[in-house]
Amino acid sequence: MKTQIKPAAVGALGIAGALLLWQYLATGPMNGSALPAPGHAIAELAALLATGTFWADLADTILIALGGLAISAVAGIAAGLLIGSFAPVRYATMAVLEFLKPIPPIVVLPLVVLVLGPTAQMSWVLVVIGCALPIVMQTVAGVHDTDPVARDTARSYGMGHAEILLRVTLPGAMPFIGTAMRVAAPAALVVAVVAGLLGGGPGLGQSIYQAQAAGDFPVLYALVLVLGLLGLVFQGATRLAERRLLHWHESYREVVL
Amino acid sequence: MKRKALNWSLGVATPVLLVAAWWAASANSMNTFFPPLSAIMVRFRELWLFDHFGSDILLSLRNLLLGYAVATVAGVVIGFVTALVPVARWALDPVIHFLRGIPPVALVPIFISLIGFGIEMRVASIALAALFPTLIATVDGIRSVDTTLKDVSSVYRLSRGEKLAQVYLPAAGPQIASGMQVSLQVAFIVMIASEMLGSSEGIGAMTLLAQQSFMIPDMWAGILLLGVIGFGANLVFELLKNRILAWHAGSRRLANS
Amino acid sequence: MTATAPNSFRRAAGRHTVQEDPMTVRDAAAALPRLEVTALSKTYGSGGSAKCVIEDLTFTVNTGEVVCIVGPSGVGKTTLLKCLAGLQPVTSGAAAIDGRKIDGPPAEMALVFQDYNRSLMPWLTVRKNIRLPLRHLRLQAAELNQRIDTALEAVGLTHAANQYPWQLSGGMQQRVAIARALAYRPEILIMDEPFASVDAQTRFELEDLCLKIRDDFGMTILVVTHDIDEAVYLSDRVVVLGAKPARVLDVVDIDLPAPRDQISSRALKEFADQRTNVLSMIRKPA
Repeated sequence: MKTQIKPAAVGALGIAGALLLWQYLATGPMNGSALPAPGHAIAELAALLATGTFWADLADTILIALGGLAISAVAGIAAGLLIGSFAPVRYATMAVLEFLKPIPPIVVLPLVVLVLGPTAQMSWVLVVIGCALPIVMQTVAGVHDTDPVARDTARSYGMGHAEILLRVTLPGAMPFIGTAMRVAAPAALVVAVVAGLLGGGPGLGQSIYQAQAAGDFPVLYALVLVLGLLGLVFQGATRLAERRLLHWHESYREVVL
Repeated sequence: MKRKALNWSLGVATPVLLVAAWWAASANSMNTFFPPLSAIMVRFRELWLFDHFGSDILLSLRNLLLGYAVATVAGVVIGFVTALVPVARWALDPVIHFLRGIPPVALVPIFISLIGFGIEMRVASIALAALFPTLIATVDGIRSVDTTLKDVSSVYRLSRGEKLAQVYLPAAGPQIASGMQVSLQVAFIVMIASEMLGSSEGIGAMTLLAQQSFMIPDMWAGILLLGVIGFGANLVFELLKNRILAWHAGSRRLANS
Repeated sequence: MTATAPNSFRRAAGRHTVQEDPMTVRDAAAALPRLEVTALSKTYGSGGSAKCVIEDLTFTVNTGEVVCIVGPSGVGKTTLLKCLAGLQPVTSGAAAIDGRKIDGPPAEMALVFQDYNRSLMPWLTVRKNIRLPLRHLRLQAAELNQRIDTALEAVGLTHAANQYPWQLSGGMQQRVAIARALAYRPEILIMDEPFASVDAQTRFELEDLCLKIRDDFGMTILVVTHDIDEAVYLSDRVVVLGAKPARVLDVVDIDLPAPRDQISSRALKEFADQRTNVLSMIRKPA
């Protein structure tokens, strides 16, 4: 019991220390700069929570991130199963995918904004561009990793290609897909914010841009605080979901890794 | 054998065919958004080879490397302290997890508000954003160092310095390297974002300015250059990693076969 | 039955820093406890959830002896070794070398771990693995290399010096771990089920290697094993532990003639008798 309380207490002290440091910087050496006092930013946050536009922006950001993620998951898993199941397709696409993988969606942001304008669609497209590729590649890796004996067994029982794909290959690839989703979910949030911040898409990213441009620094800090919390929620939720959905794989995966 | 050769030629042929198809399909393109690839390549040569090479490409890359170097060195050092000193871990853990939840690009407006649009802002944004993946991977890596290895170092009475440099660092090496690879991608994203948001120099700024002033081939040239840099940076990292961590790749290969 | 009463053999500490001729060491050592475990207990946790793993353990190991500790699996043998190696604090009682209480890894001791594949550094070659613990001894380059070469030769791995541990078989990896201990030149060598996960043939070879080390380097060796045949074959004495919490059931003197031989020693009637004796002690319901 004691050892449980101690880290939590020290952790609270750490947070308090960070806030105190912030307070000191804002009122001491950096007084008069753009850095607001933490109390000021938190008060601004409370004021924000009372406005409808804030909640609308928050909803936009979450909707774009989750919606883009869902499209990426469906399209990515389908494409991954297809590419992974046929060796020629895999060889044909791998070089292209490997080239595109390390290129972040922000690179094509100017083009997407040019074609679609500062719209929600633009944000959706960017999120899909950012999330689909890792999901495709992990799914391919997962399919590749499926036990060929299991596949042969299924075939010997007279299962068709489609049935094998759904009943044997897909479940076998699930741990890989789970890992991809855990990485993709926070990334989706990041891209949704980037699309607003740099591309003018709706949501919190755009609010941050406006707050910075208008010199409204307490609001800027309040919004970044919100994004930090939102990021925590996204990470926590995906980890929880992965554990729920893939608990039966946990031990298996430890052996593999 | 024959099949393998066929697969490999597919892998080489597809990217070539795709580029050729792009070239042919866009040859007489009147679409403003999708100019002929030939026109893009002309602008690519005129802009980057070597008119803006020193003024923009080198500048962007220098910021990237500087910020990235600061981030990885600080990440490994802070990671070591956090992992090995329980009080530091308890105190810093919540703060670190909150900060890493913030989308890295959202840090750019904060730094703009604090220190303006200069090079310092860009390097500082890159450094802070890229810090967290390396830091967290370092903490995880050190905490998962095998207890047997720790016991071995104690039994043979290795000095503290030897333990850190000869046991903990190499043992956590593979995990630190994956963290550093993510850091590199984040650094690249923030490099572009910091230029797009608050600068008139650098590749990101040039690309966004080209888009805003409707110089579409210039914008495409910028996107292509950024893509090549993103791919190239990752490739260089992979090559270095495979060289330094050859023992890890080798032991993994053997364990899997 | 030579289980000593606490403190009955305690004498003024005199450190053996000079390696004497192995034979004279063994002859003179008959009553010289090198390693002394006195009423040692180890409890994990405290209060209601406390779990006593080792209770009131007392035995000694004399200079130049090979002593094996046997007992049912899960009895806390590894915990005992960690206490002896100074890796874990004891709850009460003490372990001492030459009368000096062990409260941290002692300089004159080396430990060979059970998991050979986890106790070697995968990023170092065999040679560098052996060299790692020697760096802080500040040896001359010539002596350093000579120690490594001697150790590699003793375990028959000279040819594998520049390979990585993971490129070697399990038995070879364990030999690397033993070579690392040898090059460190400990006076006391402790081994935790060192041959548990190698095949039977390799196991015989490693057992003989262990006896050869004792004779060639004059080491005092303590081996934990769950294999009773192995214990009888290797030991001058066998400490038999009973289950949960671990305590000493008996200490059995093994007076098989030296040198031991895998074929002839194991064929002796005394071997079978001692084996039966130890096994029946362990199998006996508590």
